[in-house]
Amino acid sequence: MMWQQFTPELYHFAAALLFTALSMTRRVDNRRDYWVALSLAGGGLIVCLAAVRAEGLLFLNTYKVDLFAQLFKVLLSMGLFLVVALCSELNGVARRWHSEFYLLLFTCTLAMMLLVSSVHLISIYVSLELSSYSLYVLVALRRDAAMGTQAALRYFLIGIFSSAIMLFGLALLYAATGLTYLSDLVQVLPGVIDQPLVLVAVVLTLGGFFFKLALFPFHFWAPDVYVGAPNQLAAFIATASKVAAVAVLLRVVAATGGQETLLVDSLAALAIISMTVGNLAALVQKDFKRLLAYSSIAQAGYVLIGILCMSPEGADAAIFYALALLLMKFTCFLAVVKIAADGGNPSLDALAGLHRRSPLLALALMMAVFALAGIPPTIGFTAKLLVFSAAMHKGYLVLVLIAMFNVVISLYYYLLIVKAAYLTEPAVETPAPVLSLSARALTTALIIAIVVVGFYPNPLIVMARQASSSLF
Amino acid sequence: MILIWLIAIPVAGGLAAWLLDKWAPGAPRWTALVAMLLNLLIGLRLLAPAEGPWLVAIDVPWIDAFGIRFHLAIDGLSAVLITLTNGLGMIAVACSWHEIDRRRGFFFFNLLWVLAGIIGVFSALDLFLFYFFWELMMVPMFFLIAIWGHENRIYAAVKFFLFTQIGGLLMLAAIIGLYIVHGRATGIYTFDYNALLGTAMAPPTAMWLMLGFLIAFAVKLPAFPVHSWLPDAHTEAPTAGSVILAGLLLKTGAYGLLRFVIPLFPEAARTFAPFGMLLAVIAILYGALLAFSQTDLKRLVAYTSISHMGFVMLAIFAWNELALQGAVIQIVCHGISTGALFIIVGMLQERLHTRDLRRMGGLWDQMPRMGGMALLFALASLGLPGLGNFVGEFLILIGVYPVHRTLTILAALGLVAASIYSLWIVQQAFHGRARETRHRLTDLTGREGTILGALVLAIVWLGLYPQPVFTLTRPVLDRMLQTARSAPATPLKITLAPAATARAAGPVEGDWHADR
Repeated sequence: MMWQQFTPELYHFAAALLFTALSMTRRVDNRRDYWVALSLAGGGLIVCLAAVRAEGLLFLNTYKVDLFAQLFKVLLSMGLFLVVALCSELNGVARRWHSEFYLLLFTCTLAMMLLVSSVHLISIYVSLELSSYSLYVLVALRRDAAMGTQAALRYFLIGIFSSAIMLFGLALLYAATGLTYLSDLVQVLPGVIDQPLVLVAVVLTLGGFFFKLALFPFHFWAPDVYVGAPNQLAAFIATASKVAAVAVLLRVVAATGGQETLLVDSLAALAIISMTVGNLAALVQKDFKRLLAYSSIAQAGYVLIGILCMSPEGADAAIFYALALLLMKFTCFLAVVKIAADGGNPSLDALAGLHRRSPLLALALMMAVFALAGIPPTIGFTAKLLVFSAAMHKGYLVLVLIAMFNVVISLYYYLLIVKAAYLTEPAVETPAPVLSLSARALTTALIIAIVVVGFYPNPLIVMARQASSSLF
Repeated sequence: MILIWLIAIPVAGGLAAWLLDKWAPGAPRWTALVAMLLNLLIGLRLLAPAEGPWLVAIDVPWIDAFGIRFHLAIDGLSAVLITLTNGLGMIAVACSWHEIDRRRGFFFFNLLWVLAGIIGVFSALDLFLFYFFWELMMVPMFFLIAIWGHENRIYAAVKFFLFTQIGGLLMLAAIIGLYIVHGRATGIYTFDYNALLGTAMAPPTAMWLMLGFLIAFAVKLPAFPVHSWLPDAHTEAPTAGSVILAGLLLKTGAYGLLRFVIPLFPEAARTFAPFGMLLAVIAILYGALLAFSQTDLKRLVAYTSISHMGFVMLAIFAWNELALQGAVIQIVCHGISTGALFIIVGMLQERLHTRDLRRMGGLWDQMPRMGGMALLFALASLGLPGLGNFVGEFLILIGVYPVHRTLTILAALGLVAASIYSLWIVQQAFHGRARETRHRLTDLTGREGTILGALVLAIVWLGLYPQPVFTLTRPVLDRMLQTARSAPATPLKITLAPAATARAAGPVEGDWHADR
């Protein structure tokens, strides 16, 4: 009975076990690993979709299965599937480590699935750590060992720093309230949130999630890790990992009540700094992945606006934004992976003449970039509209105006990407990126998804609304 | 249904042009021409007097979760502007026939999508849908300038994009704000224009929301001091891009002021009107002054647009029937005459490979037909009676006079300046001695002659018999005047000297300004 509600997690656990076994075989066969991983990830997506209506409380009520969690599990498994689909040329990772790479991707996804369902402070912390540790090792798997290790070390150090801060916050929260269940905290917190101790405890606790979301002041790892990690992994960090962070932030922030408090102000300040820092730093980047990292930091700021509204509209917006980020960022990384077929780090100049070398890829990149910039009719525009109107419902006009100003700043570097792909010609003739038939199908599907969801988002908004209803 | 076709044909034509590029090099331009011809013919059916407020409308739910509807509707004003769009669209396709020699498919794709976006802007009655089309026309325009433009094209394209986006985002904020204010007051959350008309709100709220819309439209118009993108964009764009920018995109700004700013926020707009008129007069004089000091012919024409669009803004903020009638005619005629001047500059550049006035001179000897055309459109631009622009500017000045005398007199000085720079163009480029030796130049070809001939017919017809345009647009303008006048009066805090002058001039029948 209980285990049925736990199928997606069990499935991914089993998949991880299978890769543990594969990694212990002596024969290295990358094609086998790829196809096994792809079919397992595809199966995982189906399992998650099948379980989307499951509901229940498991494990002494520390684990909540509801539409909100299940929806995010679908997003996570979709992220995993898309990233694995990119791994057909996993040239950024040494050949003998491919099965370990998939193993850790599956454990990381499993951990994030646990995270979005956790409603107990300790289970949240444990699953957060499990997902982070998988990622630390994954980053270090880069074939260029020096680059990978350096990035992994930086990721690790900032990671444990933020989780120490989070632990401290959890301890303070427990000291102030004596509670560890979110369902209990939601009863008590709104009354005491203005006490300095509780406020500090909550903000410190959120620090751990800010690290995941690459939000100021825990964003310093992002540029180095995006550059240092294998391209496919950077795609995973930019998509699935962010989705999980949005989910857990929504749950925890919703537990604090939803009134006008100092907490809202501090979150708003972080959102503003994050957007501004991300956008300004992105303006001067030459490396494509580094630019995407700073754009992620800025996007995290926009998502946080939806979260800090602490209203159903805000939660809808954040859920929708998570989906949008998944598609937009993934499409950008699809271009990164295909352009840098050797697994290296492409610069913006490497995009030159892409419209001629691979019109489909250039179109996908352009759509994704315009979506990130929030230009209709794309999914990114709808997401921004939802976020901004949620914030204006709450009366945060100044915040919205600052965000819009940031959108304008960001337009400049997004246009630089478009310019590189569409307006400049390469100095030396570079070979066209090779897109297999399935890669073409995937790219086309992404373009269609970005436009169609942007043009007709109604079903997804309704879905997000249902999911967020369990939060408030 | 006809409305869907008007937008769907350019969209589909654009896609077809892009896809057919591989198949045959000549296919894109023919596809584009046929698509625009079809659109023009369909659009002509709209030029009929309306029974009710709207000639045709389509209204279906779109994003229910947000109260967004796919609501398109056309009245006389929209019909006139859509016809202008289709006509200039065809001209733009025709004048790119040989000028565009690379990535033709993509060029015509962008050209047709801009036109589709503009038609959408002129017919959208749901504010969200309006914003949607507003943005839809930006991206293709960016590509038109950035790929097929002249030397500084990327700088100009990015500048254009950023300027219009800043305005667009402020408008988005204002749209969401209006949506929320209306929803709070009535409990109905909707973006529908008709529902939002007459939303009651506190004067400061109305003022802020109005400014959001106003800035977006002022950037497009362009009004002083947010005009600085225009000279770059117009100068660097390919000929078709300049024609569309000057002929149509600027008009979306005027249309927005007319359709949205004043009807939605009559009180706030009335408070702002003296500033608006002042900015308009500054634009008229400043644009003319800058135009006169240019040596790049294309840049010169670009600056004249600022001056001419100042008249439109002046008329809209004067808000009485004569001035508005004048504004509509001015919008149409400026589209035609400036479009024609840009086309002539494009033709000159194709032949001389320069736009520098100092290197021209004496062209009349070799190209008398083109010289004649240039003279005619220069005369139109300076407001010669008998040509369309005169009707517009004259009506505007008559309409504005009772509202504010000093500003009218200053604006009339703009006409003097217009005579100077218009004749300067002809004198510098076509008369005098040739300043450098050049090869034999061909006069207008058949294609070029047809393009300019069509525009001559239009401008002469509008100059001699503008009545059809008045007949079509009068009911619309009357209704707008009614809407804005019947709004509940709120006490005004700001009293300005110009307003006092207006009162001294005596109330005019139905004068919006005199209602205070």
